[in-house]
Amino acid sequence: MKLLRTFVLPRIIQYLVVIFIGITLTFLIPRLSPINPVDNAVGRLSAFQTMAPEATVALRESLMDLYGLDGSLLEQYFSFWKRVLTFDLGPSFTVFPTPVSKLIGSSIGWTIGLLSLSIILAWVLGLILGTLAGFFPNSWWARTLENSLIVIYPIPYYIVAFVLLMAFTYYLPIFPLVGGSKGAPGFTWSYISSLLYYGFLPALSLILGGVAFRFIISKALTSTERSSDYVRFAEMAALPKHKILFSYLIRNTLLPQVTDLGLSLGLIFEGALITEAVYGYPGLGTLLLGAINSADYNIIMGITLLSIIGIATASLLVDLSYPLIDPRVRYS
Amino acid sequence: MVDTIVKAEALKAYYITKAYGVERTVKAVDDISIEIKTGEVYGLAGESGCGKSTLLKVLLGDFQPPLTVVEGSVSYQFEGMSKDATKLSEQDKRDIRWNKVSYIPQGSMHVLNPVRRIQDTFHDFITTHKGTTKPQSFEMTQAYLRDLGLPEKVMRSYPHQLSGGMKQRVTIALATILYPKLIFADEPTTALDVVVQRGVIQLLKDIQKKENSTVVLITHDLGVHANLADRIGILYAGKLVEEASTRTILKTPKHPYTQFLINSLPSFDERSAKEGIPGRPPALDHPPSGCRFHPRCPLAIEKCSTVEPPMLELAPGHRAACHLLTDEVNHAAG
Repeated sequence: MKLLRTFVLPRIIQYLVVIFIGITLTFLIPRLSPINPVDNAVGRLSAFQTMAPEATVALRESLMDLYGLDGSLLEQYFSFWKRVLTFDLGPSFTVFPTPVSKLIGSSIGWTIGLLSLSIILAWVLGLILGTLAGFFPNSWWARTLENSLIVIYPIPYYIVAFVLLMAFTYYLPIFPLVGGSKGAPGFTWSYISSLLYYGFLPALSLILGGVAFRFIISKALTSTERSSDYVRFAEMAALPKHKILFSYLIRNTLLPQVTDLGLSLGLIFEGALITEAVYGYPGLGTLLLGAINSADYNIIMGITLLSIIGIATASLLVDLSYPLIDPRVRYS
Repeated sequence: MVDTIVKAEALKAYYITKAYGVERTVKAVDDISIEIKTGEVYGLAGESGCGKSTLLKVLLGDFQPPLTVVEGSVSYQFEGMSKDATKLSEQDKRDIRWNKVSYIPQGSMHVLNPVRRIQDTFHDFITTHKGTTKPQSFEMTQAYLRDLGLPEKVMRSYPHQLSGGMKQRVTIALATILYPKLIFADEPTTALDVVVQRGVIQLLKDIQKKENSTVVLITHDLGVHANLADRIGILYAGKLVEEASTRTILKTPKHPYTQFLINSLPSFDERSAKEGIPGRPPALDHPPSGCRFHPRCPLAIEKCSTVEPPMLELAPGHRAACHLLTDEVNHAAG
């Protein structure tokens, strides 16, 4: 009970405050900008056809109403909150009148699937390889691995994506060029295998960089931890290597890495913008890119709100899980 | 008859590093011979950087490159078995360490795994050498802590919940849980305040008395030596310069360096500022020629800068390496 009051409750309150501030800023920033999306839209619509002035005014008013730009700033703010709380994010501009929530709903699954899988895989692989390389720093395989991953690491992920795309869809056409799956969605082998087949290259391009990054961090953490007093003492006492590796090294290097994993999972809702665009993957990234190109404010707002909630939730979960993995946090 | 338990003969251990084609040799332990007897507390003293910790590493057989034993040997003598500590296999380490030879690290705060309960750490160390189950280790730990008068509730604690002094006591218990015959203690009381120091010294004394174990105690703190050690060896710049019983070293030191060390100790009846030893300890990659102390020695004669002084037996059990003592020895002999 005490734990709940002194540890859990303050963090949940903080979480709510962060989301509140984030959503308020999301509301304010576009309204403080000199560009009015409705004028933009009216301008674009009237560029193709001449409209009667009354029609233009009527169009403007209905658009203002539709996008919640009516009334004073305070009135707008309250109606904004009402819409956020009912998940009514308004219609999309480009695919009018499909609601934004429906568009996001249909792409979110793709992004979560692709990104959570590749982030977790890259984390696990990088952690294991990096820790082993840090534990056996003089072995030939550790050096080879380190040298090759250090070369991969600085290459921007979109370059990796392009290279993989060209290599495996054009020169060696093994993988499909665009899309997320084939056939009717369902829990069948043919559908699931097509998911993996279409997702392979985008995932690989994300995993490569992710593994390299995690490898470098894990190796550095392991090397530092290796020379710590308690590891040296355990080695002096001739404790078995696997015991030292798991209970003494990894158990301690894991702490910052878990935080990092949680936070990168929180970033999922922004999508992997360029990766998805390169592979024509039907996720949030592609949706966001299209929305930015066509100034579809409601979609941009929707995805921004999602990522605010995503990151805040991830930090909350990391924070709440910390006492489980680090005893030093438990009693303070 | 008192048996020898560790014997180091003409031991030379150097740090040999090579960077950009330049080889650098730091002679941290240079030609040291010592013999430690079963059941005694042997103190090693000297300034920082004199090679104390390096000597300890070699005596423990726990060293990696760049530290290399260039010459000499360290032999452990246990009932019916002798081993060269500088050439231990992994199997030897599992057999000897903790069972027979143990190590109490510097009074540092970080030798206990921060994310493991004390009882789990004890289990890790015990089961490595005894193959015990968790409940067996638990029982052994409980009995031993009770024996030493440490509170049993520390077993369920994590290291960060213990005070510095308690951590050091738990570490000492962890190092001696298997009743080793030979205990190396490296600055066991540094970083502790005097009251806690006293408790830790008492604990070490108790353990040593109870098992009649041998303790090799390393500290720059001569007060701790005076309290614990039977015999003291004084190290200077990688060399043993004097060795005698604690009483002799404190009352009638012969080597000029030892005299300086003893004179710089504060005492109650004197309130004047203490005189330090002029100069600094030499860098060990280019030690001075001849006697390594001669640049700082006010009594140095010409011979001191060219000829290395031999170790002289001044009296039974009292050795020192100084040219000025040659006459005294000859006189006694003649």
